[in-house]
Amino acid sequence: MYRLLFKSFFRTKIFFVSLVLLLTVGLVSICIGKQYLVKQEQAIVAAQEFQKESIKRNIEYHNDDLGLLLYYLRFTLIKKPSNISAISIGQSDVNPLLQTVTIRGLEGQKYDTDFENPSLLMSGNLDLGFVIIYLIPLVLIALTFNLYSEEKELGTWRILAAQTSGKSKFLYKKLAVKMLFVFVVLIFLLFMAKIILQIPLDRRYLVILIQSVLYSLFWSTLCFFIVSLLKSSSFNALVLISIWVVLTILLPAMVNNYVLNKYQVPEALNAMVEQRDGYHNKWDLEKEATMSGFLEAYPQYKKYTVPEDKFSWIWYYGMQHMGDITAKETSAEMTEKIMQRHRVNEKVALFVPTMHAQLSFNTLAGTDMVSHLDFLKALTKYHESLRLEFYPKIFDNNPADTIDWKVHNAKFYTPKHEFNWVYIILPTLLITLLITVFGRFNLRKL
Amino acid sequence: MRKPMIYLLAGKLWKDAFRSKVMVIALGLMVFLLLFSTYSGWENYHDQNYTRDVMQDKVQQSWENNPDKHPHRMAHYGSFAFRLKHVLSVFDLGMENFVGNAVFLEAHKQNTVNFSEASMSTGLLRFGEVSLAMLLKVIVPLLIFYLGFASIVRERENGTLKLLISQGISRKEIVFGKWFGLWGLSLVFLLPVFLVVLLFVLIESHDSLYADSLLRFAVLFISYILFFAILSAITILVSAFSKTSKGALVKLLGIWLLFVIILPKSLQAIGYYLYPTPSKIEMETAVEHDLIKQGDSHNPDDPHFKALKDSVLLANNVKQVEDLPFNYGGFVMAKGEALSTAIYLEHQERLYKVYTKQNNLERNSAFLNPYTAIKNLSMGFSGTNFQSFLHFKDKAEAYRYKLAQDMNQLQMDFIPNKGKAGPNKISREYWKAFPPFKYEFLSVSRVFKNELISILALMLWSVLAVFSLLKVSTNLKAI
Repeated sequence: MYRLLFKSFFRTKIFFVSLVLLLTVGLVSICIGKQYLVKQEQAIVAAQEFQKESIKRNIEYHNDDLGLLLYYLRFTLIKKPSNISAISIGQSDVNPLLQTVTIRGLEGQKYDTDFENPSLLMSGNLDLGFVIIYLIPLVLIALTFNLYSEEKELGTWRILAAQTSGKSKFLYKKLAVKMLFVFVVLIFLLFMAKIILQIPLDRRYLVILIQSVLYSLFWSTLCFFIVSLLKSSSFNALVLISIWVVLTILLPAMVNNYVLNKYQVPEALNAMVEQRDGYHNKWDLEKEATMSGFLEAYPQYKKYTVPEDKFSWIWYYGMQHMGDITAKETSAEMTEKIMQRHRVNEKVALFVPTMHAQLSFNTLAGTDMVSHLDFLKALTKYHESLRLEFYPKIFDNNPADTIDWKVHNAKFYTPKHEFNWVYIILPTLLITLLITVFGRFNLRKL
Repeated sequence: MRKPMIYLLAGKLWKDAFRSKVMVIALGLMVFLLLFSTYSGWENYHDQNYTRDVMQDKVQQSWENNPDKHPHRMAHYGSFAFRLKHVLSVFDLGMENFVGNAVFLEAHKQNTVNFSEASMSTGLLRFGEVSLAMLLKVIVPLLIFYLGFASIVRERENGTLKLLISQGISRKEIVFGKWFGLWGLSLVFLLPVFLVVLLFVLIESHDSLYADSLLRFAVLFISYILFFAILSAITILVSAFSKTSKGALVKLLGIWLLFVIILPKSLQAIGYYLYPTPSKIEMETAVEHDLIKQGDSHNPDDPHFKALKDSVLLANNVKQVEDLPFNYGGFVMAKGEALSTAIYLEHQERLYKVYTKQNNLERNSAFLNPYTAIKNLSMGFSGTNFQSFLHFKDKAEAYRYKLAQDMNQLQMDFIPNKGKAGPNKISREYWKAFPPFKYEFLSVSRVFKNELISILALMLWSVLAVFSLLKVSTNLKAI
């Protein structure tokens, strides 16, 4: 029976079209992922070179003035890329992979973006995640929408009904053949991604695999449910495409619009201005206005004297730091707003498998918003560690060659990659089970 | 062709449509989506512009409130430019949320435009956004296909097509009657949207902007009407050629997916794949490299600046820079700023050329895909495309440059050279004399120029649509 079903399925045009479509777009998406990794690698190498070169050159000019030297020098923190991110590029095209900062105020440097073509950002990356989230459902719809109705419309259903004992069983078998095909292609693509992108076989990869299979299962059962209503082919096609549009375009977009409007972030602009004013206004004030705040944050520098009538580096870097302190609260509010956006999105996504699949892919790939916020936190820490290392040397007026510059290479930050299995898998699983129950219930009438 | 016949046939299509469940659901959905996107579009536009306006004023005030000081301090104090949204962004969001909104303008340095909505969003943004234009570009085409796929093929399936022809109605009348009917039906969705947009244009545009916004509105209105005409024609054509109504529907759904989702996205991705761009750090390295080659103002022995010094000394007939009639530091900085800005802009220009190449693949596909034509045209005239953003960026950079150079000039004019007597500060009145940043939108004529390809493609498609309808009417099969 199965052999016959496979044979007749392999002869259809739609089988061929789906196969070619999924394989070409799938492989193209993997290549795009590869290119994304290569570009990251290039940027990292460039950043490392840049830092080495600029330290070397600037030391030549400013060896006697460490304060001035460090005004210019830039230090890089790189978020350690992981190959799995190429499966779901997520927000990592908007948010830079590395940040190059001086030891001056951080707030004005922290949010600098990388260059990216906005047209591409808008159309989104054609990564494997896209193929899984958008195209796999379409193929499933194309393969199954006339599962029952085609037999009915061709007039073969009556013959079949007379010949097979379980009519619904026949439909299940037909569905199984088509599902099997899609799952084989899906797993093949994920396997190719693993090979081409050299993704280690770890928990993150496995969970992406499981989530992809579950997600496809969800769409299979959804198609099956519509088929189980025993309506005409046109009706099924119309309804299934409409559901696809609602789930992959309208609903997520509406949630997104709502969240962006509900949680606006004017704090971002405010913090930017506060930081500048917090720093620059100090030039026109008594030195005390700077030093009291700065020494409160770092009492270890109390021993340094600050000349009242002329420029000193401790005063200058103190002013710079005061900019950050002034903007600190607003900046924290901004981060909190972004987290709020994230939390609302996650909650809604629990009920919408498309959104949930996208967000969980991003989480697993380490390309989500939270991962970037973690990077910014790490950057803040790194910035402070640099300052605390250099401050005393600047304030002591050490020349630049007393510092071992060799250790000041570009540094890597290793993200944590924590995730919750249950949270990622359960929502889609439950929804799928629920739809299956309804579908089977409908088919009893057959 | 007889007009009454066409009206009759078109009218019948309307009657049938309004009786069908699809139309009821479609209308209900559209009303809901229209309300939602109007509200969210307006709120977004209004709130964001309000915030940015307030910030821009605040920034200007703090600029003016600076006490007397050295002009170079002010060059570092700098200013900010906040990007304002065009009122038509309520209609088409375009790239609004993917481009930055605020940039810090200071001497010596071109900062990136930061805080795009995308950089503060979760991965959900990639599903797209709902806007009035998105409804017209993405959802309504699907509805047109739903409503029209059966128009001719079902008549044939039912045998009524043969009847119509035998009653003396010409094939041309049937085809064009159906087409006008479907087109008219699609305008039911279009008109409310444009009424809402017109309302916004009227309340938001002031004086000089008025004619500009209305012209943009008119172009958008006509373009979408044409777009719907093309889509209706495609529907009728597919319906006329298909054997079964199911076949027609499946084909149309395929066309929709290809036009709206698969083609634009794949072409954009391929463009990106073919023309790689440098990362920021790579470009900065290149800029710095060029700068050092040309002249490094930080290097005391730099030949470029040494030669500059010698020539200035010679021209003014003095032995040392301290004796020059102007502040030499200001002079060197002015030259350095000019040099570094020119080099930076040159590299940036090169980068944007690559972006253009990346985008052109998709842009030129408008001749194959009417959706692309309307998409780019709609963004362009709504002031939400890449060119509109670049226009802002250019204006901001020009302002930054002027700010830095004006401050350098003040330093040259009023700050004494090292070792000479005189005040090290100038009056705060000079800050007030420096005008605030004021952003003006791209002129409509520039938009026309930018979107020439899209306009051409749309016109070509319209001609093609009518032509194919004529063609199909001659060999429409009755059975």
